Amino acid sequence: MSALPIILGMAAVTYATRIAGLWLRASVPPFWKRFLRFVPIAVFAALVVPALPGARGEAGVRILAAALAAGVSWRFRKLWLGIAVGMAAYWGLR
Amino acid sequence: MSPPLLRDFVRGFRAVIPLWLGLVPFSLAYAVTARSAGLGVLDTQLMSALVFAGGAQFSAAGLFAAGASGVEIVLTTLLLNVRHVLYGLSLSQRLPLAPAEKLVAAHFLTDEAYGVALADPRPSFGYLLGAELSVFVPWNLFTLAGSLMGQGLPDPARLGVDFVFPLAFLVLLVPMLRGAVEAGVAVLSGSLAFGLSQVLPGGVALLIAGVVGSLVGALCTTDRPKDQNPAEPEAT
Repeated sequence: MSALPIILGMAAVTYATRIAGLWLRASVPPFWKRFLRFVPIAVFAALVVPALPGARGEAGVRILAAALAAGVSWRFRKLWLGIAVGMAAYWGLR
Repeated sequence: MSPPLLRDFVRGFRAVIPLWLGLVPFSLAYAVTARSAGLGVLDTQLMSALVFAGGAQFSAAGLFAAGASGVEIVLTTLLLNVRHVLYGLSLSQRLPLAPAEKLVAAHFLTDEAYGVALADPRPSFGYLLGAELSVFVPWNLFTLAGSLMGQGLPDPARLGVDFVFPLAFLVLLVPMLRGAVEAGVAVLSGSLAFGLSQVLPGGVALLIAGVVGSLVGALCTTDRPKDQNPAEPEAT
């Protein structure tokens, strides 16, 4: 059995989800404007929390390193600096 | 590309480079998983180039290995990727794009590119495309490398590089938490995603937590002037 038709099907549904939101640029009522403004906050938090503890029993160290990175981010607002500080702390303490 | 477009493209591309530390080992791990599930080098690569969605690619490799039907694999992919609708809607509020730009930008839209583009004070099509291709290029190059090298590559979780992703999104999130409602939404969505991810696939947990958190945020800010944008970063 060839996997190609399945991969093309996966590609089609994935592209559909990606273009749908970008394409619908009708005028959005105020409630949904506010909804969309909270999307990054809700989504970023939902990307962070489940992945934070990790699967190797290092939750304490990872949370400590993340707290340091959060502090650096609050002060300096630089993505690369936050990642560098967080990874250095994690690798130094694990 | 005209000079401003090129300049923005380079800026977006460079902003994502710190994430390569996590992307490279994960694309290698995906390639090894897909090859051991019985997919050929070409199919493994086509999935990275045409589908280009890490979570869905990993789960498809697992489903291929388990002998799942094509319909099951395609529907799982759809379910895991519905969250992109939210990203598209959110981006189109911040960043007006021409129809042709939408068609191109859509193919390369990922969690990482959305995060980096939305957190920029002056996003543009060039910046978005740069951030997007800065995920696409290493993802595809290291899919190929992983396909050819095969078994014996180190596990990303053992190296600890899986930590790059929560760290990156945390660093993007923190400057947005400028009020009680923002912080409350983050705590709610984070806890909800954590709980749901114990029983549901990650992409689905993310979608539900994202929608519920945003609804609560919108409900708690009915009295706010509509031009105030919690996601708008202060000048950097």
